[in-house]
Amino acid sequence: MAYQLADFPFLTTLLLCCIAGLLAILATPAKHTQAIKIVSAVFSGLTLVISIYLFIAYDQQAGGYQFVERVAWIPALGIAYFNGVDGFALPMLLLTGIVFFTAVLTCWEMELRVKEFFALVFLLVTGVFGLFMSLDLFFIFVWFDVSLFPMYLLIAIWGSTRKEYGAMKLTLYLLAGSALILPAIVYLVVHSGAMTFDLLVLMEGDRFTPAQQRIAFFLLYIGFGILAGVFPFHTWSPVGHVAAPTAVSMIHAGVLMKIGAFGILRVGIFLCPEGWQYWAPLMAVLATCGIVYGTFVGLNQTDLKYVIGYSSVAHMGIVGLGLSTMTIDGLNGAVFQMFAHGIMTALFFSSVGYIYDRTHTKAIAELGGLSRIMPRATTFFILAALTGIGVPCLASFWGELVVFMSCVRVYPVAGALAIGALAVGALFMLRVVQKTCYGPPLKKFAGLKDITAALAVPRIILASVIVLLGLFPGLLFDMINTATMQLIGLR
Amino acid sequence: MQPATPLPNSLIVTAAALLLPLLAFGVIMLATRSRHRLSAAISIGAAGLSLLAAVYLLVQHWQMQAPLIFQAVWMVSGQMTIPIGILLDPISLSMFAVVAAISFLVQVYSLGYMAGDPGFGCYYGCMSLFAWAMLTLTVSSSLLQIYIFWELVGLASYLLIGFWFDKFSASEAGKKAFVMTRTGDVAFLLGLVLLWLQLGTLDIPVLTNPATVGAQLSPGMITLTALLIFGGIVGKSAQFPLLTWLPDAMEGPTPVSALLHSATMVAAGVYLFSRLFGFFSLSPTAMAVCLTIGTISMLLASTMAMVARDIKQVWAYSTISQLGFMLMGLGAGSLFAGAFHLITHAGFKALLFLCADVFIHHCGTNDMFEIGRQGGRRLKSAVVCTIIGAGALSGLPPLSGFFSKEMILGHLLDSGHPVAFLAAAVGAFLTTYYSFRLIFIILFPRDSGDAPPPESHDGHHHAGSEWPMTTVLWCLAGVTVVLGFFQTPLHDFLARAGTGFQAATPAHHSWLPVAACLLAAVAILQAWFEYGRKKARQIGWVEQIPFLADLFGQRWYLDRLYRYLLDTLVYRGVSRLFTANDRRVIDGALDGLGRSTIGLGRVIDWVHGGMIQYRLMIMVAAVIGLILFIGWGG
Repeated sequence: MAYQLADFPFLTTLLLCCIAGLLAILATPAKHTQAIKIVSAVFSGLTLVISIYLFIAYDQQAGGYQFVERVAWIPALGIAYFNGVDGFALPMLLLTGIVFFTAVLTCWEMELRVKEFFALVFLLVTGVFGLFMSLDLFFIFVWFDVSLFPMYLLIAIWGSTRKEYGAMKLTLYLLAGSALILPAIVYLVVHSGAMTFDLLVLMEGDRFTPAQQRIAFFLLYIGFGILAGVFPFHTWSPVGHVAAPTAVSMIHAGVLMKIGAFGILRVGIFLCPEGWQYWAPLMAVLATCGIVYGTFVGLNQTDLKYVIGYSSVAHMGIVGLGLSTMTIDGLNGAVFQMFAHGIMTALFFSSVGYIYDRTHTKAIAELGGLSRIMPRATTFFILAALTGIGVPCLASFWGELVVFMSCVRVYPVAGALAIGALAVGALFMLRVVQKTCYGPPLKKFAGLKDITAALAVPRIILASVIVLLGLFPGLLFDMINTATMQLIGLR
Repeated sequence: MQPATPLPNSLIVTAAALLLPLLAFGVIMLATRSRHRLSAAISIGAAGLSLLAAVYLLVQHWQMQAPLIFQAVWMVSGQMTIPIGILLDPISLSMFAVVAAISFLVQVYSLGYMAGDPGFGCYYGCMSLFAWAMLTLTVSSSLLQIYIFWELVGLASYLLIGFWFDKFSASEAGKKAFVMTRTGDVAFLLGLVLLWLQLGTLDIPVLTNPATVGAQLSPGMITLTALLIFGGIVGKSAQFPLLTWLPDAMEGPTPVSALLHSATMVAAGVYLFSRLFGFFSLSPTAMAVCLTIGTISMLLASTMAMVARDIKQVWAYSTISQLGFMLMGLGAGSLFAGAFHLITHAGFKALLFLCADVFIHHCGTNDMFEIGRQGGRRLKSAVVCTIIGAGALSGLPPLSGFFSKEMILGHLLDSGHPVAFLAAAVGAFLTTYYSFRLIFIILFPRDSGDAPPPESHDGHHHAGSEWPMTTVLWCLAGVTVVLGFFQTPLHDFLARAGTGFQAATPAHHSWLPVAACLLAAVAILQAWFEYGRKKARQIGWVEQIPFLADLFGQRWYLDRLYRYLLDTLVYRGVSRLFTANDRRVIDGALDGLGRSTIGLGRVIDWVHGGMIQYRLMIMVAAVIGLILFIGWGG
């Protein structure tokens, strides 16, 4: 496929921003925690600015891959440092930028081992950014693993509630995923007939027989699907969410789970369209299971973060359902939902983080009446819950609507079940809102302070993105559409 | 919509009328929430301007021949185009005016009612949201847009019903309202998606055009989608079997109930039916279902109202039954009868709720017996207005309800639904009976209170000036008295709605009004006999039959049934089963895998322990095995 090399390496600059931030944090003495936080905020802010710039500067009329950079790395194996972004990658970069910046701001009050914490977060995000912009299979795999390892330490050191168990479980699960992805990538490269890891070269023509595509797609689907919380490989995600500290939960649910879905799209669907076609019914079944199952299990949870964890399972099910429809609208809706869900869960965890920091409990039974004590802080929580229910004029609604509309056409039963889960989903979220925010204010929380303007900043950013996209979904859909049209047109 | 051509005035006016409440909501929530007077001024100002705009549009288009449509593309995704637009025709214009008027009046009334509440600013913000959502719903040009604002209306009523969220009952009622209407909306959304798949568009003019719909959809598909969309109407308009949320919804501030019961929320359901009347009338099955559901709901709710002691609850049940009545009119094939009753009902039901609020406000209780004892009859304006409202509800001439009820009864008779007609007559009788039961209880209190008065819902609000409240009451009462005489002009106006409007033949049964009045008179007499006259014991005939009193008082046990089903099926059933599966089966298998890996490691570790005797033993065993193998084989 034709592409033009960029005049200025914006994408590498984005990565370098993360790495420079990481080095700057390492260079700052550990006792100057305030300085470390400011450095982190500045560098994460820079990445946000660059990702916004890229989103705006992308030429939607021309479409295709833009801002492309390519440097041969190991020519003998056909490995190149090859970056480029299209309508799928740009929303994800923007999402990462927003969640990264707001996550850093959210943990402004953190005290424990500040230096190490921020250093690890920067390392993690470097991997995420790298994965979203890479067009080389080898690098995709490397970035994938780079983004996984810091997770273990972040949860095991700074976490709560069964943190060792959660960290171990998460790491093992995700490693199992990468153990499936690597063979699939190698299998594809070996059978391509061209010794290259270049994604665009591998996409050209009919390089793979349908049988090969089926094998590879299945491995990729399960491997990346584990990270996307596909039923029945989802149990690491609620446990991991609960164990992780606030900022990590935000990045984890907001961005890391998207890596899984993005991987299925970028590697699986791009390279093995016929494998996709073959396994699509399975994807639809598992996604529907995830939606219905996540909603019902969420009803029974007693821990605030578990509730959000299971809502993530259900919402990522909607993404999976969109991917399984094999239609333009389904893909559009899926990618939109990835973005919307990322912002929504980030807001969710961010507001729960505030509640947890003040009340020192996540148990729903111990909470209550918070809306009278901290009205502003709970407003963010309620807004996130309403987004989760799919109330119109909030971002998630459009993703869900478009996915449902295309799904009923392809899989009527799955579509009907997923729509039916909406009613239970409403019960599920409103129950939590009622038990934590409503009711008479409890005496034990009487002295707690409401959120200050400075601490509210990250929540306000996230909330405004939700409302903005809820009112003007076209901002994102137009971008995604350029990539989908091209992909479906190719097939 | 081409940007090149100058925009017509009507579009600008409508858009302004729609955007002002939204703007008010945004400004209040973001900036002026803590400044009470300013927030109220902004919200009421926006509502007032919307009302002016609505009146202007009505005057401007009173002679309109063809509907006006303005549409713009809101979002494009592949083959899917989602438009947003405004559809102005007699149906939407009349409803637009009703919604604007009622929400303006209720907001003015709330000035007195909500004064002193700490959430005053927030309250007006939510009211603006409510007004915006409902106004936009009425003029939506596509079914999808209706669905979007339909959900927003649900959101606004969730926030307002649960406004005093300190109380468990209030937050529970808000949740119940949202979830039950959502259940109906699931069907609605499914129907909408199916329609979109078949037709490729959801524009209302296309949907209500019998020729195109009939050509592109099979009769079975029309019935299926019509029934699914009707599911949404059942939820929103609190019809059987999703009717139990509405009586609980009175937990919110009373002006909210007035708004919710008259022109917004529940009215949205019936409005949708009249909006899509042309589509529904293509499916006889759907019409029959509509008629049946309407009849059942009307009768059920009427019986519940006969034994209620709570004044707000009586009017809440009467809302359900009147909505059922409207659906009966629509289901019998008369768009005008249903729409006309919707309009008249909006006026007198808002009046009744606001009067009830005056009683509650002064007597500090919701119990009507207690209100009577506390001297409720001294509140002259409220008593007179309640009598006017109740008279309209009972269909007494010359009040507005008389005319619209006659229309529906006449149509039921004309269209050959004798059973439904009889049921409607019974329902009308019961309605008159329970309305006047309430009036007589308040007018002629008895001291022999047999039950302690229940807790007041709104007793803690005693503040604010009276004049906004009384002015609004008299406005609504005036409308109730006058509106009926506008039947013919309204009919001519609505007849211009074009497609789907069958020229309603006015009821030719000259005996019908007389019979209806006689029936009402008998009902009033019975109420007088049981509650009004000097020696009356104020115990209704229903209460003397314990079985019936229990059945009606417990809302036919519907609430308990749903609670039971929810607990056993959802919480204890599926949800717990899935949770157990998650913990035991999926996680259990994984933890088992982990443990067995560790176990395997131990075994291998033990084998590699370097103990010479074990190695020797294994060697010997291997040699013996080898010998045996060779011996056998050889």
